[in-house]
Amino acid sequence: MKKLSVKDLSKPIILVAFFLILTILRPSSFLTVGNLGNVLWSVSIYGVMVSGTIFVFLLGGIDLSIGTLCGLTGVTCVMTIRAFGYTPAGVIAGIAAALAVGLIAGLIHGLIITTFRVPAFLVTFATQTIYLGLSMILTNNKILDCTSPALFTSIGKNPVPIILMAVAALISWYVLRKTETGRYVYAVGGNDQAAAISGISVRKITIMAYMISGFTTAIGGIILSSMTQQGMASNGSGYEQYVIMAGVIGGISLLGGEGTVPGAIFGAMIIGLLQNGLNLMSVPSTQHGLVRGLVIIAAVGFDALQRDTKFQSWLAKRRQARAAGKSAA
Amino acid sequence: MKKKLAALVMAGLMIFSLAACSGEGTTREDAGAAATATTAAAKPAKDVYSGETPIRIAYVAHDLSTPNNQAWLEGIEREIEPWEHVTVQAFNGESSAETQVSIMTSVIDEGYDAIILQCSDGTALAESVTQAEAAGIPVVTLNLDCTSTHSALVMAVDYDAGRMIADQIAAEIGGSGKVVIIEGVQGLTRTDNMERGFVETIENNYSGIEIIDKQSAQFEKATAQTVMNSFLQNYDQIDAVFAINDAMAEGAALACESAGKNDIVIWGADGEKAALEMIENGQMTGTIYTNSWDQGSTAAKIALLMAGSEYSSSVLSKTPEVIMEPVIVTAETVSSIDEKDRW
Repeated sequence: MKKLSVKDLSKPIILVAFFLILTILRPSSFLTVGNLGNVLWSVSIYGVMVSGTIFVFLLGGIDLSIGTLCGLTGVTCVMTIRAFGYTPAGVIAGIAAALAVGLIAGLIHGLIITTFRVPAFLVTFATQTIYLGLSMILTNNKILDCTSPALFTSIGKNPVPIILMAVAALISWYVLRKTETGRYVYAVGGNDQAAAISGISVRKITIMAYMISGFTTAIGGIILSSMTQQGMASNGSGYEQYVIMAGVIGGISLLGGEGTVPGAIFGAMIIGLLQNGLNLMSVPSTQHGLVRGLVIIAAVGFDALQRDTKFQSWLAKRRQARAAGKSAA
Repeated sequence: MKKKLAALVMAGLMIFSLAACSGEGTTREDAGAAATATTAAAKPAKDVYSGETPIRIAYVAHDLSTPNNQAWLEGIEREIEPWEHVTVQAFNGESSAETQVSIMTSVIDEGYDAIILQCSDGTALAESVTQAEAAGIPVVTLNLDCTSTHSALVMAVDYDAGRMIADQIAAEIGGSGKVVIIEGVQGLTRTDNMERGFVETIENNYSGIEIIDKQSAQFEKATAQTVMNSFLQNYDQIDAVFAINDAMAEGAALACESAGKNDIVIWGADGEKAALEMIENGQMTGTIYTNSWDQGSTAAKIALLMAGSEYSSSVLSKTPEVIMEPVIVTAETVSSIDEKDRW
């Protein structure tokens, strides 16, 4: 069995530190089932989305369209439910339609990127505005209410989003760690030319990654529309920043080939805990950006130092020197 | 000695100049000054209603993807509908002052006849607004004002809306209790003033009411749910919530409903359709309604009036304001808002 090192434990250490600090600062309100449920609930959409988008990140790609695609899939779901007269059958049809839209969007991204060899940044930047535009046309920029049936509204209520996040993360972790497909993703992300020479279809893997990203984005869109009980064009806009941030905080390299699902979920948790801590401590909203930035730098810096071999060897030498000094004394 | 001599020379010159200004000379000079002032204040008037020349209005929105922006656009379209030669082109500012500045430059270069603008940043857009006015293009701002003087500002009440909501909440919780505020994005004049109106009214008139916390939810419904959940975790007693816009009030209402806290008084502001429905269902307590279609239509009327007039904003020391009628909406009065007026 592999021995755990400080390097492997740095993220749990940071999480425990967050928990300790917030428990000390807000003893009566932080460490309660209700509040921790609130934290998980608030990051569940990012957690679901990053569980799929991680496939794209690991290939060294990027998906900037997930924010507006989240809005479009939510709008699709709500419009279908309304068309079916707010019935449970409508909810199932709505979910299917939203997932289909997500998959098709991913397929389109993958096809364009692999066929025309256009950078993913450009393709998804363009489709980002296309999806927002489509949502605006579909809704005519109106809010589409959807306050029933209960089958739909319950999707956004605790603990369903948290369960969905856990399931998405587990499946994603399993595929990446335990299957051949997962190994191919890391191989293509590490060196696509070497992967191609070894017989891996880079095109297939790329298309699949973007389709998975679209699929989890659609799940995020369905959850968001249920949480807010409405479909609205601008819903989800900007979520791509949080998903990318969760991934990067979690140690995913945007150059590809490096990163894990637990890391990405850790990143999402840090975002949620930070926001929760700022709210619970009544920090004025004008100071949120500053505090958030500083804490993220501190957390990521600590994590990076644990991985830095030069720093670790310097630390080891210091420890040895100190021990030698003590024994000499 | 030298000083005395200089004073005498100056006095002599003044007497001479006063004599020169009397009689016909004075009349001519005054007429000349008046003519100069008129030239500075005037701009060429356009024939707006004859239909001989096309009239183009640019609507530079803060963020076209929101229902309120859409309602304003529809209001403008309704106003110009009878005139085929009058058209409106909507531009999406994407909540970015830089994008709006770039749009304004294009709109001025293309020689639009009037601009209806919501400034994402009143200071950043000031130069663009001044350039447009100098080019004879009247600028009418909608809710989000600009620091430079321009043709008109059409706005929903801000400070007074905050005051009205404070009075309503105070009455509903019996003049004493604990209140939280859910803020939007700070730095926007309208919402900042609304919050100030609310806070000052509570502080000055209701000593029994305490504002225990305020947090931002960035005007977003889902974020407001998280913020409200945090409030509920942090405080044992919350009697009322004031959210700066309806979307956030709706989010707070959903959070309270999930937590089983159905006795909290929840107020929003704007009067969007979803909020009115929540008030009807008893999920929200009230809002301040503004007819956004009417507001867009009013802005278009003023834009056409200014385009067809020689009147220039350069004579103004302050931007003239048109304030839209605020309607206090509660469960008792919500039925007075017709379906056709819900945006």
